[in-house]
Amino acid sequence: MEDFLFDLIDLVQSIADGLLFGTTYAMIGIGFTLIFGVMDKLNMSYAAAAIAGAYSSIAILAVVPAPAPVAFFIAAIAAGLFGYVIYLLCFRFIPLASPLATLMATVGMLLLIDEIIVHETDGMPQPYPALFDDVMVEFGPFGLRGDLMFVFAVSVVSMAVLLYLIYRTRLGIATRAVSQQPVAAQLCGIGLERTNAMTFVITGVLGGIAGAMIGAAVGVLSPLLSIPFTVKGLIVTVIGGLGSIPGAIIAGLLVGAFENTFQFLRGVTERDMYVMLLLFVFLFLRPGGIFSPPDGRD
Amino acid sequence: MDFYLGLAQIIGVHTILGLSAYVVMLTGQLSLAQAGFFAIGAYVAGMLTVLAGFHIVPAMLVGAVLAGLMAFIVGFPALRVKGLMLVIATLAFGEFVRLFFFNFDYQISKGGITVGPLGGEGFRQIRFFPENGWTSLDVMLFVWAVVIIVMAALWWMDRSRAGAVLRAVGEDELAAQSAGINLTVVKVAAMTAGGFIAGLGGGIYAHYTTHIEHLNFGVILATFAIAYPILGGLSNVFGTLVAVIFIQGVLVEGLRFMGDWRNLLFGALIVLAMNVRPRGLFDERATALLKGLFTGRGHART
Amino acid sequence: MQRKLSALTIVGPAIAAAGLLAAPLQPLAMERTVHIAGFGAKSGVVRSFGVNTEAVMLAAAKHINESGGVKLGDGTTGKIKVSFYDDRCNAEEGISVLRRIATTEALVAVGPTCSNVAEPLFGILQKKVGDDKDTGLQFPVFTDTAIKGGLAKISEWAFRNVPNEMEMYRQMFKWIKAQNPDLKTVFGGVEEDFAHSRFTWYKVMKTRSGDAGYEVLGEAKWLLADTNFTTQVRKMRKAKADVVAISAHPFTTCGVLKEMQRQRVKPKLLVGLTSSSSLETLQGCAKQAEGIIIPTSFAPVTPAAKMAAEAAAKLGGSADLHSAAAWEIVNILKGVIEGQKVMAKADTLKADRRKIRDGLANLKTTGGLLGKIQRTDEGEAVKPYVYVHAKAGEWAVLHNPIK
Repeated sequence: MEDFLFDLIDLVQSIADGLLFGTTYAMIGIGFTLIFGVMDKLNMSYAAAAIAGAYSSIAILAVVPAPAPVAFFIAAIAAGLFGYVIYLLCFRFIPLASPLATLMATVGMLLLIDEIIVHETDGMPQPYPALFDDVMVEFGPFGLRGDLMFVFAVSVVSMAVLLYLIYRTRLGIATRAVSQQPVAAQLCGIGLERTNAMTFVITGVLGGIAGAMIGAAVGVLSPLLSIPFTVKGLIVTVIGGLGSIPGAIIAGLLVGAFENTFQFLRGVTERDMYVMLLLFVFLFLRPGGIFSPPDGRD
Repeated sequence: MDFYLGLAQIIGVHTILGLSAYVVMLTGQLSLAQAGFFAIGAYVAGMLTVLAGFHIVPAMLVGAVLAGLMAFIVGFPALRVKGLMLVIATLAFGEFVRLFFFNFDYQISKGGITVGPLGGEGFRQIRFFPENGWTSLDVMLFVWAVVIIVMAALWWMDRSRAGAVLRAVGEDELAAQSAGINLTVVKVAAMTAGGFIAGLGGGIYAHYTTHIEHLNFGVILATFAIAYPILGGLSNVFGTLVAVIFIQGVLVEGLRFMGDWRNLLFGALIVLAMNVRPRGLFDERATALLKGLFTGRGHART
Repeated sequence: MQRKLSALTIVGPAIAAAGLLAAPLQPLAMERTVHIAGFGAKSGVVRSFGVNTEAVMLAAAKHINESGGVKLGDGTTGKIKVSFYDDRCNAEEGISVLRRIATTEALVAVGPTCSNVAEPLFGILQKKVGDDKDTGLQFPVFTDTAIKGGLAKISEWAFRNVPNEMEMYRQMFKWIKAQNPDLKTVFGGVEEDFAHSRFTWYKVMKTRSGDAGYEVLGEAKWLLADTNFTTQVRKMRKAKADVVAISAHPFTTCGVLKEMQRQRVKPKLLVGLTSSSSLETLQGCAKQAEGIIIPTSFAPVTPAAKMAAEAAAKLGGSADLHSAAAWEIVNILKGVIEGQKVMAKADTLKADRRKIRDGLANLKTTGGLLGKIQRTDEGEAVKPYVYVHAKAGEWAVLHNPIK
């Protein structure tokens, strides 16, 4: 009986840790989903650019020492810049009628970004600054990591700002207009290219924050991170429903909690198989994602 | 000489892998599960030659049939979704297969040593070729015999009604459906054919590398499988071959003299190629030009 | 516009293709040069390994050439020339690189970095020398880095000069037990999806600590690219073991050590994987790694080792437990070339390679940077080793069993 109680405590703790960590998945998922929503295309280099943003901040910090929040800020700015570069190199000049070419170009970009990082660091993991990493908030048998709670808070705030941007500002209205009716939006005087470019910059900034938070949560950066975060981000995007921001947020937390639960119950070798099964279940039962709108609505 | 023969083997196997994605792509679907089918072919064929003493040809066929069967089974539910949803669903399936082999142990004792797949440590000593006296030339000819059979079959299919049906579905599902085409049958058939072809490729892969492990069949390989037909263009089977030569022959081996720059150029050149030739290195125009050369019509108009 | 572009895209690959054809053909040597090829990962996350091996090989060759070169079979002096190839830590590419090396004048190849390249690579070599029915490649390979247990026996053309983990951990656990008799239990952490670390936990650390009288309480598992170790470390905390042994590479070793600090898991002793006694670990988490004990076959404790480390540093690489083996290998090869009367002429290429293989196979002991290295019949080395521990951000020698 006591063993059972211990296990139960561990299970709850695992879920809580997973939920906190899941915010990083959610942020990467939002990036995929936003670009998909606006351009109907996949940007495979998104997670790599997010990590690259975090790398840029430590590169700058190596020259000008500054506290951790400054690093997070630099990461966001750098990744916003990368977002624009990716737009130029992989989207701007490839005809709309060739979605496969854009997809492949972003794959090439993913490989290029990873390799640039490898060349600059010789592939060695780099420590990343964190805030509150020595804090552990304890409630009876449970404990929550201070740095993860900070990551969670930053993610929630960034997502809130993003939602405000999209639903309350002119730029957001333009973005949504383009995503729903590109032709009509252009007729209303919304610049398609400018809106697309802005979407890349905004998602880039969000990615940079995500990359910095991943760095802060993990404690080290490595090019090893980009493929797993790409895969998890895509899964989150699908479970949340392509194009749905609230869906991506919930799905990110869900995937984080689910993966930790099965890591606890079935072990690490089978963990990801269950995450894939979760995806299949969603594809089967709710192919439109968690918040799929009823049929017939735009 | 041995080096070029080995390179030709690699190009052959990757062409088979690329063609397996090409078939599925003709129906307008993108499958990232090809690395999974490739893994099934590799493990099954390897186990049959090493553990059961099969000849490579029946071993490869069994592996390919099983991979095709798997593709058939996952084809039905997976094809309920399309577009990017399918990309991610197939990606998840491919990873699922890889993780299955990561957890898969089946070892028996043979001649005093244990052989067979051992989870994360992989499956070693798949030495059918060297043990049976096949030289690099033999292996190369064997690989290319398979490549030519697969390419010829696909070429012929493309020219027949079946190809027209596949491409019709790929161009416009609604129109194809109104013309009386059963979408599910066509897509599942393409998926099954793709699985079978990938299984054949995997069977050879296991034997020329002699050692396989789950990490060989990850997302990167799946991405390469679709990269070949996309880079090469979908107008015909030669596009895929051109792309494999471009990636394996030029980017991987040809640029070796560039030293440290080689790997940076790898990604950059893919980005460049897609900007310059969005419809593939070997697009409709190149196809027409080639045809014009052969039929002596000079410049073809497209 | 379209026309120009297609001309460009045709010409571009054509130039590169020309490079492909030309690359393996090296200019005919006017003087007698002994070609030795190196190969390993110089791209991807393991790039530092290839960079270090290359620098160490070049440094060793320079050292030999400056102190008189190699004496060839007919009395002429040979100068060693090293060419290094990148295999991207990919099995197919490794095979391709070795085949390419075999088309050059290289007499022997040193590498690869990754065990998952070494294993298939040894598989394509001829299994038994002189077996005409076996069409495997006949080319000697001498490995400096790929460390997964028991690989060299795959082929008689394969040799390794890598630490023997079985022996190192057997002795180290015994030593630890003797030093700290009150420590009784061990808990393991293993990077489960990587062949080497997995092998080292299950077949080496787990059994060897058991042999030394420890009770193994269990193990926590994670994957190579994992980032979240909360559940694993909780399991570790619950086990309350005296000793925690981590069989993982620097990236996840650091992740786990940081999580252990957060959850206040403080075992009385930490043991790490040989491959983690590198700069990477200290760069990633010097503070958390403080005190971790690792057996390693290289530390700058002898004059020879110090000289090798300095020579490599001058060429932009660092001599560590993996790359230092390449220094020893180049020197061992010098001895074999002289002993076997290798000619290093264009028309003796095939015979020279065979001589080098036979020479390597006949060695019973060789010189090494830390002392004599024993060689086994299976082509493996039993190298002297020391125990190092992380101390104030550096690796310091804790105990030297050679003395």
